[in-house]
Amino acid sequence: MFVLITGGSKNGKSSIAEKILSAYAVPGYYIATMEPYGEEAEAAIKRHREMRSGKGFVTVEKYTDVGEIVLPQGSGALLECVGNLCANEIFSAGQEHPAYKILRDIEKLSETTEIFTAVTSQVGSDGVSYPKETMNYIGEMGRINSGLGEMADVVIEAVFGLPVVLKGELPSCL
Amino acid sequence: MILIVGGAYQGKRGYAKKRYGLDENDIIEGDDMQNISSAKCIDRFEKFVYENGENAVKSAEKLLTENPEVIIIMTEIGSGIIPLDKTERRRRELAGQAGCFLAERAETVIRMTCGIPQLLKGESL
Repeated sequence: MFVLITGGSKNGKSSIAEKILSAYAVPGYYIATMEPYGEEAEAAIKRHREMRSGKGFVTVEKYTDVGEIVLPQGSGALLECVGNLCANEIFSAGQEHPAYKILRDIEKLSETTEIFTAVTSQVGSDGVSYPKETMNYIGEMGRINSGLGEMADVVIEAVFGLPVVLKGELPSCL
Repeated sequence: MILIVGGAYQGKRGYAKKRYGLDENDIIEGDDMQNISSAKCIDRFEKFVYENGENAVKSAEKLLTENPEVIIIMTEIGSGIIPLDKTERRRRELAGQAGCFLAERAETVIRMTCGIPQLLKGESL
């Protein structure tokens, strides 16, 4: 089963994803995509590490090319998060349009796992017109999110911590 | 406490007035700290968050003890590009955290999209 979790910033997306992974998979693999550069990234990573501690997750740090990760067949994994992954592919790896590649990488991960959850984010709803590079990022994220929505069995939007089902059925652990 | 959320200009305030029989005098804005503990309805709760900064969640908790029946309207602001400005970035995070806190405490949570109410938590719209 592939569960996609989307929503705005600090809306409880990770909590929901972690709940699902804990309920269905032990141990679960936590694929962390945030590059640890700068004070705020470090603070965010620390906050998420604390949230995960004691839950028995195995952390795999991979900032690009998540399709290269090999997980034991039938395991569970959580990818956190697609927004960072896309930014890394564009701005660190220099791929202008990584949407299709990211979709393939994620599809591969979701196929080898029994339960796969991915956290993505909504970045196109502030009505601000940004420079070309940022607009390209918003476009790629839209393409990725639409592709993932099609691929996923369940799509949940976190709204201030509450799960709103956009596709499929709410997992019973929520 | 009742929480009404949604993007900007999606009919949150209008719905609150109609559904809960409020008029303009019953509604204050989130940064009106003088009337916050007695108001029937607080609109623009994100302003309360900006006003209280790092203490936003704590202050919200205090507000709910003083004014447990309040109707709170809050704009969702976290679905865009992460702001370049550090203060803006932090505000946006605090707004999300405060929203999660309110939603957890609320009896009813309603989300407005294109003027359409959707019940996210509680018994009925």
